[in-house]
Amino acid sequence: MNNVDLAIIGGGAAGLAAALSAVDDALRIVLIEKDRQLGGILNQCIHNGFGLHQFKEELTGPEYADRFIQSLSKQGVSIMFETTVLDIQKKEDFELMISSPKHGYEHLHARAVILASGCYERTRGAATIPGTRPKGIMPAGSAQRYLNMEGYLVGKRIFILGSGDIGLIMARRMTLEGAQVLGVAEIMPYSNGLTRNIVQCLHDFDIPLYLSHTVTHVKGKEVLEQITIQEVDQSMNPIAGTEKVFDVDTLLLSIGLIPDVALFDGLPMKKSPTTRSAYVDQHLMTNIDGLFVCGNALHVHDLVDWVSDEGKKAGQWAKRYLLSPSHAEKDLKPILLGHYVRYVVPHHIDMNDCTEPITLSFRITKKMTAAYIKVIQDDQVIAQRKSAYLAPAEMESMIIQPHQLISKNPIQLIVEDIV
Amino acid sequence: MFDYIIVGSGIIGSMIARELSRYDVSIMVFDKENDFASHQTTANSAIIHSGHDPKEHTLKARLCVEGNKLYEKLEQELDIPLLRTGAYVVAHGEEEEKLLQILYDRAQANRVPNIQMITPEELRQEEPRLMSTITKALSLPSTKVTYPWEVAFAALENAVKNGASIRRNSHVITIEKDHNNFKMTLDDGTVWLTRHIINAAGVMSDRIASMIEDDVEFVIHPRRGEYLVLDHRAKDAFHHVIYPLPTAKGKGVLIVPQVHGNILLGPTSELVNDPEDASTTMEGIRYIKEQLRMLSDAIPYEWTIRAFAGVRATSSYDDFYIQESKTYPGFYHVAGIDSPGLTAAPAIAKYLVEEVINIRASKKASFDPYRQKRTLFHQLSEEDKYRLAKENPLYGNIICKCERITEQEIIDAIKGPLGNDTIKGIKKRARAGSGLCQGGYCEHQVLNIIARETKKPKSSINYDGQHTPILVKETKTHE
Amino acid sequence: MKELTCIVCPVGCHLSVDENQKITGNKCPRGYQYAISELTHPKRMLTTTVRTIFNDVPRLSVKSKEPVPKEYLFDIMSELNQLIVTKHVKIGDIIVSNIHQTGVDMVATKSTDVNHQ
Repeated sequence: MNNVDLAIIGGGAAGLAAALSAVDDALRIVLIEKDRQLGGILNQCIHNGFGLHQFKEELTGPEYADRFIQSLSKQGVSIMFETTVLDIQKKEDFELMISSPKHGYEHLHARAVILASGCYERTRGAATIPGTRPKGIMPAGSAQRYLNMEGYLVGKRIFILGSGDIGLIMARRMTLEGAQVLGVAEIMPYSNGLTRNIVQCLHDFDIPLYLSHTVTHVKGKEVLEQITIQEVDQSMNPIAGTEKVFDVDTLLLSIGLIPDVALFDGLPMKKSPTTRSAYVDQHLMTNIDGLFVCGNALHVHDLVDWVSDEGKKAGQWAKRYLLSPSHAEKDLKPILLGHYVRYVVPHHIDMNDCTEPITLSFRITKKMTAAYIKVIQDDQVIAQRKSAYLAPAEMESMIIQPHQLISKNPIQLIVEDIV
Repeated sequence: MFDYIIVGSGIIGSMIARELSRYDVSIMVFDKENDFASHQTTANSAIIHSGHDPKEHTLKARLCVEGNKLYEKLEQELDIPLLRTGAYVVAHGEEEEKLLQILYDRAQANRVPNIQMITPEELRQEEPRLMSTITKALSLPSTKVTYPWEVAFAALENAVKNGASIRRNSHVITIEKDHNNFKMTLDDGTVWLTRHIINAAGVMSDRIASMIEDDVEFVIHPRRGEYLVLDHRAKDAFHHVIYPLPTAKGKGVLIVPQVHGNILLGPTSELVNDPEDASTTMEGIRYIKEQLRMLSDAIPYEWTIRAFAGVRATSSYDDFYIQESKTYPGFYHVAGIDSPGLTAAPAIAKYLVEEVINIRASKKASFDPYRQKRTLFHQLSEEDKYRLAKENPLYGNIICKCERITEQEIIDAIKGPLGNDTIKGIKKRARAGSGLCQGGYCEHQVLNIIARETKKPKSSINYDGQHTPILVKETKTHE
Repeated sequence: MKELTCIVCPVGCHLSVDENQKITGNKCPRGYQYAISELTHPKRMLTTTVRTIFNDVPRLSVKSKEPVPKEYLFDIMSELNQLIVTKHVKIGDIIVSNIHQTGVDMVATKSTDVNHQ
């Protein structure tokens, strides 16, 4: 099969939801997955906390994925397993260079593409943590995979850098499996992870959390022997005299996730420096017609429920693009960022194609209690809602109904303290 | 009994092994590490220098220029990658331009080919990201960039093909005279007899020398250099090697486009006490960025994927020390090989064998200078990719997504005369794990493939050294 | 005044309990129950893996159907670590009933038959 209508790259949470919502008798859809099974990162996230919004139940990662996998198996979507997409190019349609042991190297043509390729972990090298380069330093997600899927601990005395959820979850997991976790360091003065995880992953096991600290030295020739952490000042510079040394054989890094958009290299794609991924409109389409992005490949999410929502939308919009495209000329207006908004997805709105509610997904720059989220157009507040609690670590959303737009001028998103 | 035992399998030891393997002599190469070419050879700028920098009438100058030429032949024979970048040495203002002229004159005296001075306008055409404060540049078109450890491996592989033996985890602890021969004891207790010893032990070469010599004529002053590596997505930023003017400390902090598209930034240069202290420092990284600000303010640091450091064997002797021991004939030192060691390596080997050893043995009729061309799947044409992946499904299985490395290439890196069974060894040979995610996607796959191919348990697969297993403890076993 | 963070769901309400055992701060009734439970007999959900004989799925992810007493977590881990799953199971299948006499079952959260799922 060399020609399809829609190619979805990635069979994790985003790709699964996109595939399900794009299903249509008139469309040939293929879902391309590099692993032997669907589910993506959910397969190794054996902990709870998924699905509260989607299913009103709390599920583990594999259970959450299974709900979508089962639904998809009832549809006629072709799935290519153990297949890696090497490159995408666009001429009249999209040409995907794909490779698998079963079919070898092939070109696949598609009229539309949804990129749902997830994200990868920021590495020690990218963060240039100084010291030696022994064995024993790895991203927390890699250690999670070795432990949960293959059944091996990567070390016995662990220190974790980064208090995001992956780091906290691994602190608990390694401890339960018999390792000693000596501490978690977090460069910010607050933890990025869910508060519940601070309780059930750190407090429960008496694992100390060192806020405003980072790793400033690594020691060990062939195998990690010791790490040094130091307190940092407001400019993130280490403060002399605050060194704390830990004898460990493993340093797990939970220092950030980066959208995997390597496949954009062959395309004239415009990328946003804040989200490190493509600019998209309210239909999750990039500046390249027919190319959609969703999930962690578009921007890093903290709840998989929102990833599924976004994937669902990408599927719907891709379907509409293929079956009943809008022929109106585009009128793209940027969404302006106001107070406290770090970024918003989508980045712009096609004002000539506003027939459905527009979901603005955004992150704020600091923790806030009691705030108004407002959308402003032509100096008027066209939509607003109150929120009791907002945090940078928790993605927020604001929905605008088409009738709320009063013109075709740019809108602005702001967050205001309620005084 | 061997005719020659070479201590050290870096680029120097490997080239010497290959050179000696042209002759009817028996050769053994020892390396103390779990893989060959593990130190300086894996941590340098990868530049094949033109020869503009070493002082006239030194061995460094002569062998650098000769070596640079020999790389053309090596490219053919050993199938090594060679990027013909050329280089610019840049000057800001009158004072620096005077120093640039001295370099020009030296390059002339050293017979560096095709050099010329260029204007800032010409420079800007070629390298738009360089600072507009640069007023003149010296163009050195014979400068090239290679992949240093691949060159060492290729030379060593070819030496093995032509009869040489190699042995890793072979740490020499004593050397004694035994009648007309030498007796070497390793830390694993084995004893080896040889007629000649070649000391190519890098930062440890003075220690090897003093195992038998009372008076060692050179002292190694280990000099550490730190580097930053940018992902190959930064490859369009610069196309030539960019040098500032050199100082007493060395060539300075450079911008070096690499063979696989990466950009190398560095090195720093500081003396260290421990010859194996290859740690990176915050000050070092800061220094690199400060110094590079004078070359460009448009360096795409957002693509930084790694920082590393290497320790160079700078010596107290003012030149390469390539001499026979004055006390022990048959014991040859190839020491103090810092920059331009990589460039000079093939010429050093020739010089040692032909002029210093003045070898009498006859040349092997069967000597085969060629190393078989390796298949790099992602570099093949579309037609070749189709055909090969159809014939062999292992070429269809992409293991390293970032660098497009297939399962077959990983298997090739494990098997073969220079095969290795560590994560780092596979990274050095097949490049899996060298990209943006630094092994995040592929390390577990590489580990499993190594375990399968070597029929060893997963928990024994090492990261690098002999006692560095990635999987430290299997859970839920009854221990 | 005792301060707690509710862990029942990802919201993580901040709960306060005064001297008269009055609980405030919960956004839903589950938080109220959690506060009582946490002060009298803390319980936790356990998610972990068990060993199998299947080469392509060496570990099977499992969870406790309900929270178990916090003080038994390591004992339960020890018991589970002795187990080897020898037959194929599906999501929801009981792997161990009444683990460590808690009355709580451990269930599979994944099917062992993974290929092309």
